[in-house]
Parts: sequence; C-alpha cells; structure tokens
Amino acid sequence: MRIEISRSGGFAGMTRTWSLEVSPAEAEERWLPLADRAAEAPRGEEARLERDQRDRYVYHIVIGYQEVTLPESRLDEPWKELIERARRGSTG
Amino acid sequence: MHPHPHCSIVPPHLLAHLAAVDDPRHAVAARAARRALVQLDPLLADRAEAFAAPVPPRTAVGRPLERRISDAGGQEILPGTLIRGEGDGATGDEATDEAYDGLGATDALFREVYGRASIDDAGLPLAATVHYGQQYDNAFWDGERMVFGDGDGDVFGRFTRSLTVISHELTHGFTQYSTNLVYEGQPGALNESLSDVFGVLVEQHHLRQTVDQASWLVGEGVFTDQVQGQALRSLAAPGTAYDDDVLGRDPQPATMSDFVITASDNGGVHINSGIPNHAFYLTALHLGGYAWERAGRIWFDAAVGGGIQANSGFRLFADVTQEAARARFGQDSEEYEAVRQAWAKVEVTG
Ligand SMILES: [Zn+2]
Repeated sequence: MRIEISRSGGFAGMTRTWSLEVSPAEAEERWLPLADRAAEAPRGEEARLERDQRDRYVYHIVIGYQEVTLPESRLDEPWKELIERARRGSTG
Repeated sequence: MHPHPHCSIVPPHLLAHLAAVDDPRHAVAARAARRALVQLDPLLADRAEAFAAPVPPRTAVGRPLERRISDAGGQEILPGTLIRGEGDGATGDEATDEAYDGLGATDALFREVYGRASIDDAGLPLAATVHYGQQYDNAFWDGERMVFGDGDGDVFGRFTRSLTVISHELTHGFTQYSTNLVYEGQPGALNESLSDVFGVLVEQHHLRQTVDQASWLVGEGVFTDQVQGQALRSLAAPGTAYDDDVLGRDPQPATMSDFVITASDNGGVHINSGIPNHAFYLTALHLGGYAWERAGRIWFDAAVGGGIQANSGFRLFADVTQEAARARFGQDSEEYEAVRQAWAKVEVTG
C-alpha cells in the first residue's frame, strides 16, 4: 500500500512530498490505527503549547483512503520512523 | 536579579535623574533615559505634526537586555544546556555566537528605535536553543524561545547564518505579546509578514543600510550551494527568491490577484505573506532613506496601537497602518500617501 507524505510550512514555507510502499499487513497493523488516533485534536496544556508554535512543519499523510494532518509537535517516534523511511527512499 | 524595575512610561523628573546617574551598573537605564529626554527620533523632533502623535515614543527604561543561549546537543529536547548568558564572552561555537549576536541586534532595533524593552515591553529575557535535533532543517518559535536546527547539509545549512532568520523568530515573540494574530489564513500571513518586515529591518538597522542598499531578502545564506536560489523570500520581488530544479520556485504572490488558496502551511501563511510584505517594501521605497525610521515606525505603531485584532485580515491591517501614518505624520503627509498607494498597488484596497 502506498503512503504519501507531504510536509508544508516551516520557516521556509516550502512544500516537499515523499512516498513509500508498505505491505497491506504493515499498513493495517501499524499505520492505519495510528492515523485513527492522530485524528483526535489535543486538549488542555498540549493544545495551548501547540497554539503558540510558529514556523513549525505541518505533515499531511495519506494512507490508502485514510488521511491525517499533523503538526510537527505531535509527531512521535513511529511517525518519525515512517517519514525517515519515505525521505530515504524518495528523490523528490 | 534585575535591579531596574520595569516602567514603560517614566515621569520626566525621574528620567532626568536616571540620565544623570554615573554608576556603570545603571549605564543602560541612564542611556535609555538620556535618549528619552532628547526625543531621540530626529524625524519627530523636526516635524510639528508628529508631536501630536497619539502613540508617543515609549521609553525603554527598565530591565536591560538579557540573552540566554542553550545547546540541545543534537537532541530534540528543550531548552537544552545553558551555554552562553548575558555578558559572557564568545564561545567559539558559530551557532551559539550567531544567535547571541542576532538577539542583540534584534533587541537594539526594538529598544533603541521603537523604545520597546524586549518583546513584551517588560524586559523578558530572550531565550534561544541551538543545535536542535539531527540534521534538523528548520528554525521555529515555540511560544517561549527560538529554536535553531543545523540544517540537513543538503538543502539547508545552519539557520543562524542569516540574521533575518533570528530576527524573524524573535518578532514572532513580539507579535505574541502585541497583536497575537492567529496562525491561520490571512491573520497568519500577517503574523508571518510582521516577522519578515521587522526581520529585514533588524538587518538593515544593524548594517545601517538605506532602502536602496538593502537586499530585502529573508534567509539569505541559509541554502547550501546545491540550491539554485539566493534566499527564502524577497520583499522587493515576492516569488523570485529561489527557482530550483528539485525544490521548485518561490510561491509567494505580490498582489491579491495571485492570492493562493490552500489548506497546507496553515492556509498559506508563508505564501500569502508576500502581499503585505510587498506593501511594506513599496511604502519604504516611496519614502527612501532608512526604512526603519518612517515605514517601520508606522508598522510598529500599527502593531502596538490596539487596532489590530487576533483575527484581523489584510484589509483591516491596511486600514490600521494608514491610520497610524495619518496619526503620526498627518493626513497631508507623504508618509500617509506612501502607505495608501502601497496597499492599493498590491490590490488590498481599491
Ligand atoms: Zn515565521
């Protein structure tokens, strides 16, 4: 299954796109559940911290029919691993 | 410890007292007081109508500049370890020393020219973290401090290499404590534009460059040699800062006809900022000389005058800057005319 990652914003305001191919099993087990959870907006202190951030990147990740938009401050380890894999494998 | 209590409006007799103080421990306050007493701004002193300005020059007597540079040591942690405090000598680490000097240059514009004591006008210490993350290719403001990455070495080098990046980030702090424009759509693009405008003004003030001498570029020197582009943004010619085979070209518009509607980048905050950026440039070009003196003063007055709301769009911002020019320089002034024509040219006003 194809995963498309586009990174916009940042100080430069430059959009970059990377993609990678994962097995349907990996998508089902790792990435789709993570995307479901990520769709929930943060609350309280976390929301306040996120609100005051400037020039951070915004990631838009499309996994099959599922899409999720994540500010950089909400990217935890599994997402970073996925993005790193896509960046290594992409030319654009 | 901060021996100087914060006071933004000081009675003249106290200013006179402070100005006469000869104790090196109070040198900053004494200098600021002397400046306030002589109404440092030569433009205002020359022009009768400017004395009637409803937003008088403030007096930055209070807590002096205090910088704190920390090192994240290549990890994504904040704040990291304090590596250079105010008054400490150079460390020899380029990013640390560039951040320290850049914060000083930014504070100098706001404090010496506009009379604002730090970003909050209450002497808030200025905090920055360098060497954030591994090959981290960004610089950002996290609500309390500036954070600088070393770049990936492929597209971006060290972000502290450009003074305008440092001053841009610190101006996000100024905006947080003044208009607090929300970071989305048109208010977000105005937030970005204020950071670019004061970002380039800090550099121009530091280098004593006139409108004609200045590059009007944001982020010059941040790209590696492998990228075809001189900078990230241009206020003089939005859309021309870079044009690279891999990265594409600078997407900034200069006029409302080319306004970009997009969901990415928080609704194009780094893209549509080209429009108010260019309006500022046109105002400064019309007036000539040092851009921070008149065009910059008008934008500063607008930002602190209370007329801009957190959700203001371009049209309201245009009205408030015109009103600020009228209030300080008069209805028949060339300053008011410069601002009015600039917003019409970028098609924000009719
Ligand atoms: Zn910014």
